[in-house]
Amino acid sequence: MKTYGSSTAPITMEVFTDYECPSCRNLFEGTLRPMIADYVANGKVYLIHHDFPLPMHKHGYEAARWANAAARVGQFQNVEAALYDNQNYWGTDGNIAKYVSAAMSPAEFQRVQKLMVGCEDQTTAAVTSPSLKNAAQTTHSCALDSYIEKDRALGMTIPVNSTPTYVISYKGQRLPAGSGVVSWPILKQFFDSLLNQ
Amino acid sequence: MSQNTRPKWARILLIVGRIALAAIFLIAGYAKVRPQFAMPWSVGSVRTSLSMFAMQVDSYQMLPPWAVNAVAHVLPFFELFLGLWLLTGIALRFSSILSVLAFCAFMTAIASAYHRGLGINCGCGIGPVEQVGPAALIRDGLKFLPLALAVTFGSFWIRRKPAPNAVTVPEAAPSTQS
Repeated sequence: MKTYGSSTAPITMEVFTDYECPSCRNLFEGTLRPMIADYVANGKVYLIHHDFPLPMHKHGYEAARWANAAARVGQFQNVEAALYDNQNYWGTDGNIAKYVSAAMSPAEFQRVQKLMVGCEDQTTAAVTSPSLKNAAQTTHSCALDSYIEKDRALGMTIPVNSTPTYVISYKGQRLPAGSGVVSWPILKQFFDSLLNQ
Repeated sequence: MSQNTRPKWARILLIVGRIALAAIFLIAGYAKVRPQFAMPWSVGSVRTSLSMFAMQVDSYQMLPPWAVNAVAHVLPFFELFLGLWLLTGIALRFSSILSVLAFCAFMTAIASAYHRGLGINCGCGIGPVEQVGPAALIRDGLKFLPLALAVTFGSFWIRRKPAPNAVTVPEAAPSTQS
């Protein structure tokens, strides 16, 4: 449900991100956005989003919860865009709900709020990964956390050491993971070289 | 009759160092151009590999796209050329200096990326995928750069003419006495 495009596209790109990560925002706005408008829309690329909130980001985990709740009502794409576009604001005051509600209709936001019941506790939002330094275990009382933890477990197998990290697959074969921001012209050039084989 | 002014062990050591240095550059260059996705060797598959390397260069966020492409399409072949040049031993002083400059440039890029907090892969093609940071700097700073410096120093030392008053030991002439 946290995907863009058709799963039948020849190229699949999986991206592990933290909504509070500035580099992830730069990747989304500078690279993924034009890619979605072009190569995803034209059936060349299938984009899959995976959550990988980092412990140093106070609101990253909570943002991932909101995005997963939005995905359950079919509003993931709008909410992801809203989260990245307004990262500077909610990253400071933690008022994520404001920007999530603005990305959907009132009725849909009510449904999202119901899904977020039990997820408001901030103490459970600061979850760290055992693979990172200063790991600390915490309890998950929010039903949406299972989706986030499933993504993180997948990230451990890559392994994801920082965000953003992306994995590109072509005709069933997976490339070694790349990390950091890659500009759209360079990424597009790579996709074209694959598609022109 | 030639006069060897440098010990034989020094010349052998220089050859070994030169070959090791050449191997580093050849492996690095090859890793960047070899086909990915189990593709066969072809112009297209090499182009794909170079495009992939361009993504790694781009992640350093130091160059505009046109410069990223220039580096990505030239550097691997430069590494292969330099590796072959080192292997031949021709003009070793110059090829070894070039290798030192190459390592210094690469370490500068790694340090810059690390300083800016970029959690990216080094993209060097040597060894397993590794993030930029102290480990990559230590690997290059403690292993590769000293080797390049040693080969450079050795190449100059080997070629250097001895001092005028230096005592040289001539090679033993074959005995003609019956």
